[in-house]
Amino acid sequence: MDTPIQFQINTGSAEPIYRQLMDQLRRRVAAGQWRAGQELPSVRELALELAVHPMTISKAYGLLEIEGLLERRRGLPMLIAVGHARPAAARERIEQLRPTLQRAAAEARELGIPKTQALELFARLLDASESGTPR
Amino acid sequence: MAPRVEIEGLTLAYGRQPVLQGLQWRLHPGQVVGLLGRNGAGKTTLLEALLGLRDTSAGSVRLFGQPAAQIDDIARARIGYVPQQSDLFEELRADELLAYFRSFYPRWNEAKVQGLLERWAVPRDIPIGRMSGGQQQRLSLIRALAHEPELLVLDEPVASLDPLARRDFLRELVEQVLDRGTTVVFSTHILSDLERVAFNVAFLREGRIALQSPLDELLDETRLLVGPEARLAALSGVEVLMRRPGRWLVRRIDEATLAPGLVAQRASLEDLFEALT
Repeated sequence: MDTPIQFQINTGSAEPIYRQLMDQLRRRVAAGQWRAGQELPSVRELALELAVHPMTISKAYGLLEIEGLLERRRGLPMLIAVGHARPAAARERIEQLRPTLQRAAAEARELGIPKTQALELFARLLDASESGTPR
Repeated sequence: MAPRVEIEGLTLAYGRQPVLQGLQWRLHPGQVVGLLGRNGAGKTTLLEALLGLRDTSAGSVRLFGQPAAQIDDIARARIGYVPQQSDLFEELRADELLAYFRSFYPRWNEAKVQGLLERWAVPRDIPIGRMSGGQQQRLSLIRALAHEPELLVLDEPVASLDPLARRDFLRELVEQVLDRGTTVVFSTHILSDLERVAFNVAFLREGRIALQSPLDELLDETRLLVGPEARLAALSGVEVLMRRPGRWLVRRIDEATLAPGLVAQRASLEDLFEALT
């Protein structure tokens, strides 16, 4: 059974909504949770569900199509493109985490937090989301 | 497609106090524009002038190609407006009010009206004057959406809605955009709503639209630079949106060539609001 395709957005973030959508899709596909051949919600459906402007959705879909992650079919829902049937290699997945951690590392340095404390916090957060409720 | 709203050189003053000073603005079909400005910047005045409800001292406002102060009934029926202060007839009940307005419009979506009255829990059995501010505002929104306008002007439309009703309302806006390319302009201080539905943001400052841009481009292009003032002052060829000691908000900077000692952070809409209004 495929994991249903659902997006979440954070407002108040410096990350524009179209990028949040793209990043979520890239990560889910890299993790093998959303697979090749799975249908995406239409622009209309997703715009109404998330209450965002339709152009924001089409922008994210369009850019992911250029990246080769999505496949457009005339008059039909978009698909996760072939070639994404299996999770990406671990090496590739960890690379996707790099920008976020780079930012966290920079902020930890600015705040003067020692390495051990920062790592301990990250470990705790990883454990918390494993046992905590999804979403 | 022709713009739905065309404003050229709009100038307006209250006595000797200038409010709008040679303002230029265009709104196109399907655009949802969030109008941002500090309290007292003139947002309400601008929206009222846009609708032809204000005497102006110079410039022109055209709606659907017609001078705003003299639009015909056909163009008028394509506009929906929710003022900041409720302008509903206080002695009428909701159904009576809506029946009254219905007679003016060639198009009227009664199913939508009934659905929204139900979902937004607008009481039908008491006069409007006895409703709470939030109930009056919801009724005012329903009235503005009922005739499925092609131009919606909303002045602080969601201030007294609870979060669920607000989300519901934003969905209504998205649906209007999807179904008929409705142009929406709205002022609000609730930035999270704006981020969702407003593809474009416009900043009103010193009587002009200081900047209008797609919000995502603005977020992509803008960086908050933090570091020693001397390093910041040595930057060349960047567009500086805000200067605070040790904190500059800049546009279109090449992070790869950034001097050591300077840190570039992404900026949020709140940062932009602070810098541009």
